Amino acid sequence: MSTKPKPGKDNFTRNLVIGVVVGVILIMLVPTLISKQTDTSAKIPASVSAERGYGVVFNGELTGVPVIDVYEDFQCPVCAQFEAAQGDYLESLIEEKKATVVFHTLSFIGTESVLAANAAACSADEDKFLALHKMLYQTQPKENSGAWTNESLVSAGNSVGISSESFEKCVNTGEYAGWVNNVAAAAAQEDVNSTPTVFINGNELKRGNEYYDRALFKAAVERG
Amino acid sequence: MKELQLWFGLLARLVLGGVLLLAGYLKYDELDKSQMAVRAYEMLPVPLANFIGLVLPFFEIGMGLLLILGAGIRFTAALSVLLMVVFVIGISQAWARGLSIDCGCFGGGGQVEPGTANYLTPLLRDTGFLALGIYLFRYPQSKFALDKTPPPAAIEKGI
Repeated sequence: MSTKPKPGKDNFTRNLVIGVVVGVILIMLVPTLISKQTDTSAKIPASVSAERGYGVVFNGELTGVPVIDVYEDFQCPVCAQFEAAQGDYLESLIEEKKATVVFHTLSFIGTESVLAANAAACSADEDKFLALHKMLYQTQPKENSGAWTNESLVSAGNSVGISSESFEKCVNTGEYAGWVNNVAAAAAQEDVNSTPTVFINGNELKRGNEYYDRALFKAAVERG
Repeated sequence: MKELQLWFGLLARLVLGGVLLLAGYLKYDELDKSQMAVRAYEMLPVPLANFIGLVLPFFEIGMGLLLILGAGIRFTAALSVLLMVVFVIGISQAWARGLSIDCGCFGGGGQVEPGTANYLTPLLRDTGFLALGIYLFRYPQSKFALDKTPPPAAIEKGI
């Protein structure tokens, strides 16, 4: 203690600094808290159901079939493995109307996940969601490498046969950015802590081989 | 001896403050992941875990800045002790219950493949930070701090 306290004088700087730090943190925090709320006025794509956690729904009208909820992030490498292992099977279930499948495109890995999820939503309006979905996983770049831009996502869309101007506009304007946020908020409420996460009839499939082995996954789906 | 103690105080502030600042900085623009990380500990109701996942990074940044600048050291040290105790409890219970999660201490977090979770490293690390926090709470005097040296009476009362 080299200096004696001089009461009242230079605590001013200290208090000012504390005030500024606390103030700035609060100013940053409040808009963040607000932005994470579900925005019910956000535009949602065709075949999305708010009741199903804002997921993209296939065969939502069927009853008495298994309901498969897939939580994924287009940038997640393990999701690409899951898609490679089970994508065809899920598509066949959808085509043969043997299951209701709901895709929840999360975006926690970064902004490129948001762009990809938005583009996927745009493709749902063109009835090409599954095609683009598969394409994006097959050509998945390294996380946040800058490879996925609106431009590259439009050309990915073109390559699976989406050529409309409305798709291009939808991707470029981030038309479904609010929806992407809603998907994330809904998954947070559902306690989804990792991707891929699969729920079959509302029960979480335990992390492990069932995700990557076709026979085991099929058995899990058929068990219900 | 006193002089050495003041320098050690500075070191403790910079290490603890730097770590908190870094931890907050790495999480604050990945808030979805931060929320996942808190939920994965399965200690709190989901809405509360989500709220903490959003708030914690900002909280850490603020505490880190205050410690580095040396403003309100005692109070901030007490908060960081509290925080580290919560972290140690969280990690220990995850370990004891056999959860497979990433600690999410510096970004990341959430469930991981069974058998790949590492709890010992974060546990030891947080215990070290806990010790620094306790030291700073007991001896907040340090070099280059904005805080005035607290009067001896305050130290005796242990406020």
